[in-house]
Amino acid sequence: MSAFRQWKGPLTEELVLRPGEFGLGQVPARLKPDATVNTICGFCSTGCGLKVHLRNGEAINLSPSVEYPVNLGMACPKGWEALAPLRAPDRAKTPLLRNPSGELKPVTWEAAVRVFAERFKGLQEQHGPDSVAWLGTGQITTEELAFLGALAKFGMGIRHGDGNTRQCMATAVTAYKESFGFDAPPYAYSDFEESDVLVLIGSNLCVAHPILWQRVLRNRHRPEIVVIDPRKTETAMAATRHYAIQPKSDLILLYGLANMLAASGWIERDYIARHTAGFEVFEEFITRFTPEEVSRATGLKIEQLWQLANLIHRGQRVSFWWTMGVNQGHEATRTAQAIINLALMTGNIGRPGTGANSITGQCNAMGSRLFSNTTNLLGGHDFENAAHREKVAGVLKIDPGKIPGQNSWPYDRIVQEIESGRIRGLWIVGTNPSHSWIDQSHFNRLMDKLDFLVVQDMFASSETARHASLVLPAAGWGEKEGTFINSERRLGEVKKVARAPGQALADFHIFQLLTRAWGCEELFSGWSSPEAVFQILKEVSRGQPCDFTGIPDYASLEAAGGIQWPFPERDRPGEWAADLAASSFGSPERRLFADGRFFHADGKARFVFEAPRSLPEAPDAEFPLLLLTGRGSAAQWHTGTRTEKSAVLRKLRSGAVYVEINPFDAKGLGIQPGSSVCVSSRRDSIQATAFVTSTVQRGQIFIPMHYAEVNRLTFPAFDPYSRQPAYKACAVSLKPAEA
Amino acid sequence: MTASALNDTRTLIDELLAEQQRLTAVERFTARHEVSPLTRQRVYRDLLPAGGPREGEQYAFSVELDACSGCKACVTACHSLNGLDEEEAWRSVGLLHGIAGEHGFQQTVTTACHHCVDPACMNGCPVLAYEKDPRTGIVHHLDDQCIGCQYCILKCPYDVPKYSHKRGIVRKCDMCATRLAVDEPPACAQACPNGAIAITVVKQAAVIAATREGVFLPGTPDPAYTQPTTQYHSRRGLPHSLLSADAHVLRPSQAHPALVVMLGLTQLSVGAFCLERLLGLIFSTNLMMELSAFHSLVALVIGMLALGTSTLHLGRPLGAWRAIVGLRTSWLSREIMAFALFAGLATFQAALIWFSPQHAVESNWLGTAVAVSGLLGVFCSLMIYQDTRRPFWSGRRVGLKFFGTTFVLGAATVLFVTTLQGLLSPAVANHGAYEQLTSFLTLSLAGSSLVKLGMEALIFRHLREHDLSSLKQTALLMSGELVEITTARFLFGLVGSVLLPLAFLAQRPAPGPATLGVTAGIMLFTGLGELLERYLFFVAVVPTRMPGGFGS
Repeated sequence: MSAFRQWKGPLTEELVLRPGEFGLGQVPARLKPDATVNTICGFCSTGCGLKVHLRNGEAINLSPSVEYPVNLGMACPKGWEALAPLRAPDRAKTPLLRNPSGELKPVTWEAAVRVFAERFKGLQEQHGPDSVAWLGTGQITTEELAFLGALAKFGMGIRHGDGNTRQCMATAVTAYKESFGFDAPPYAYSDFEESDVLVLIGSNLCVAHPILWQRVLRNRHRPEIVVIDPRKTETAMAATRHYAIQPKSDLILLYGLANMLAASGWIERDYIARHTAGFEVFEEFITRFTPEEVSRATGLKIEQLWQLANLIHRGQRVSFWWTMGVNQGHEATRTAQAIINLALMTGNIGRPGTGANSITGQCNAMGSRLFSNTTNLLGGHDFENAAHREKVAGVLKIDPGKIPGQNSWPYDRIVQEIESGRIRGLWIVGTNPSHSWIDQSHFNRLMDKLDFLVVQDMFASSETARHASLVLPAAGWGEKEGTFINSERRLGEVKKVARAPGQALADFHIFQLLTRAWGCEELFSGWSSPEAVFQILKEVSRGQPCDFTGIPDYASLEAAGGIQWPFPERDRPGEWAADLAASSFGSPERRLFADGRFFHADGKARFVFEAPRSLPEAPDAEFPLLLLTGRGSAAQWHTGTRTEKSAVLRKLRSGAVYVEINPFDAKGLGIQPGSSVCVSSRRDSIQATAFVTSTVQRGQIFIPMHYAEVNRLTFPAFDPYSRQPAYKACAVSLKPAEA
Repeated sequence: MTASALNDTRTLIDELLAEQQRLTAVERFTARHEVSPLTRQRVYRDLLPAGGPREGEQYAFSVELDACSGCKACVTACHSLNGLDEEEAWRSVGLLHGIAGEHGFQQTVTTACHHCVDPACMNGCPVLAYEKDPRTGIVHHLDDQCIGCQYCILKCPYDVPKYSHKRGIVRKCDMCATRLAVDEPPACAQACPNGAIAITVVKQAAVIAATREGVFLPGTPDPAYTQPTTQYHSRRGLPHSLLSADAHVLRPSQAHPALVVMLGLTQLSVGAFCLERLLGLIFSTNLMMELSAFHSLVALVIGMLALGTSTLHLGRPLGAWRAIVGLRTSWLSREIMAFALFAGLATFQAALIWFSPQHAVESNWLGTAVAVSGLLGVFCSLMIYQDTRRPFWSGRRVGLKFFGTTFVLGAATVLFVTTLQGLLSPAVANHGAYEQLTSFLTLSLAGSSLVKLGMEALIFRHLREHDLSSLKQTALLMSGELVEITTARFLFGLVGSVLLPLAFLAQRPAPGPATLGVTAGIMLFTGLGELLERYLFFVAVVPTRMPGGFGS
């Protein structure tokens, strides 16, 4: 019969594999590269290295970099699909201006930047400098973030700007600043591998940061992995212990643990005395958090609390890790600091496998934190400090008077001032708040109230761009150069491997055009290319905890596989390569505070604490359930403007919004598995499909944040210190949807 | 802004647009691209078996469920490293969930082709486009041999083969055989950050023994059927009560319109020929001689139309002739051969009737042969679906439907054609047995249809079941998302195949335009009813598959 069988032919040929060369294994023959280049992923803050397969200089495929110290040849689905969004048909290809009949119509760049300058200048002249503000991102390069912040504040005189990092990292920033004296996540990823006890708080690492979970699994010390999370998440399943506490009882739990540790003498009094300040008051404060009290609030048994305290006590190298479960709470900063306090009092900091470690969100959240010129003056400086303003002005060669002496309004205040009418013009860059901002319906009403809204983005189809008066088409990740800083403070360079569609321009180029159109180019004469700005930022960082003056240029970043800050210039120039050897992967040198010296003037870390407060919107008779939000799948990134462009990623997530509900609650409410339900809060109602599952506790429901509907429900509460929105908890009711 | 500033802006714009299109990465950075082969080897060593399979052994995927945390990188790696279509991937990740003790429990499950010891896809393929490699045990698909009949998709209990519309063929996982040949793990195994997927060597006898015991994975179909080789390991243990996250999501299956038409019309044609033969035994030869020629022509034309339609179902119809090679294992091959024989014999008989009617009617053996070959074809059709082991397609259910349709549509057709002939030819209309003949046809049509509709309606019994069985899901689909079609099916059936025939019988009308109209109505409504029945046959069936994700 084999005579009648076609073993070869054009269809078979389509799937033939060939050796890829360039250190690659077998690759599809039709996608065999003629060169490869390493770059950094543009989704989350893990900052994985990706090897882009090139043909004629253009990306045709990619695979994770085997030799990059962060990810060791692995990537999550988003990284694998990083090129797909670039080819999306709905990329913004020309500037678009809303015409008098309300439609967005293509205009030339010339017209676009002219209108930008005219309208914003007009508003500022008529209503004062505070009438225009901007909202930025953690998704563009450090050089672009700095350009945006410098252009807006020093060039255009816009005083108020903030970024979407407010939605994810502001809490960690505030907590670290107050506790350590600088916004400095102290860890290296190798700490995941060195710990004997890992405590993950409000972090679904397996799904939110799969490559960091890979690092946990490389731990050879048979670690206890503790997950503190109301839900039985993928990470809770993979952990050795899961403590399913009541939502937002984390602060009480952490204070209670501190009390048990202190009362049992399981703390490092010597370390506390030498390297910290404020412990006595803290020790007195925590005595009220008795195990009975904590058990009542958290829903954990007293034995469980002692078990957890014991684990922390017995661990030789205990590391504490937190993500959005902590950062997005109504008392988030104090919760993060309660974690820091535990690490400090048990001496679990500055040694391999220890630390109070915030895992960042976006690919360049750290770049944004240090260089976006919003909350901090460039380089982690202080706007209110005259010496800092002098220093930065000196490096930039501008008049110090150009630098405002007061801080920006935070995001929620900017939103509030749009409502009050003080802000009339808004410039949104690389973020999608019409989907992601808390109490979204209210936000969107305000977008339509603005006199002039500029949206600068890869896609004119985003929820936010639909409200725009002017859309500036931006080139995306992969279509431009620059650097990102990841969660472990590692600077890495992104490469230009694809051509932007139509007239889309890199944000860097857009800022160059706007500088010219605004007429402030004399301030930015040195800002000619991303690498030129990199050199400027190096100088700005000099003497700061984030000093990276020792990195000569992009080429050395490439050669080193990324370099963590701090990396100050040594006495003998040209010695960077030797320093680099010490900075390479696996070296214990690259975590902070090994010497016990913190960034406060006295070198001591602070114990910061405050009495817990009840939920801003607790469930009641009318809205009896608590809505939790969070990441849905590793294939989804935030509002989906990019991940929804990949057909493969779309296969890996639910296409429509769903709500996870406990079987007991479902039964009580007459809700069938897979049926349509109506979820209501005091703000709005949405329809969703019921996923009846025991991974959520009774009285709680969970909806992934990637679906635009969710933030119509969320309650606009904010942490008072970080001003970060408390997405994680609001009161809702649930009923079967009307047929 | 001054005019000169504007001009400057314009040149700057041009400059930046040009700059944006310049790709610089290659010249600047590609110097450093070689990786020490050792780096990869170290990573790969744990993912491959020490030696290849020996006699009675084969390669298999091994999955550490404790390490699978649901990141789904394996799916995207399969897609990218195999150069698959935009939405194509040969691996998927699903979710099992439930309760363990008093706590919630979930387990993500990565799955691809199980490279079964006894692959159903291969056994069903009419053109031998599957090959189980005798050395490695890998189930290969020969893309250029495939004719796109998609029967393997119905056959595989794990929903593995996937149809490519633009190519008209099926494609599936080959365990990255090219990679394995050079000691490189498959794309999925290379890409798992947790090292959850590896290649192992299994003894086929051990797989057969284990799968007979039902050992595979909770929430999946009976492994004894195909003996899947994937080894799922779980140290923490999986509660048996686990449900797939998509267990409650009811989705209609693919409709396969060409198959709906093909099955309906072949059965009509076979039914008409069989009735023709049957009526020849009961009624006067004289009358039947008058009728035969036209009956057989109509049946033949419709039969040919049916077979023609069936090729529309194929992705690559020009390769249909290859079906001859699959006779040994494939019911689809057998069906094609049986209907080819039926078509040949029926054509011969029709020709004989037209050219030598006397001879034709007397040669009973030919009519019998046509009828038998046709029934054989319908039986093969039945077996095609029965062989997929889907409960809604059990032999009993399919048999009732297919042979029921054969009779019902055959009767409706013969009734209509006879009435037409009665109108056209006084010799037919005035024949003494004519009224008996039409009465016989209408009565048997009404009776058989009533039985068939009743049996079909029995599916709704399963709505009362507590567990969400496959048949209950079918009943839910038919009474839920597909309720309009289900209602139409029963309405057409009741009106066209029961009420109208009974009315006809009560009236005993003489041949005339009104009578013709009624029988045309009977034929039309009965035909539509049966086609809708067949449409539901495809869309309301619930295929088995590996656990899926919620909503994905």
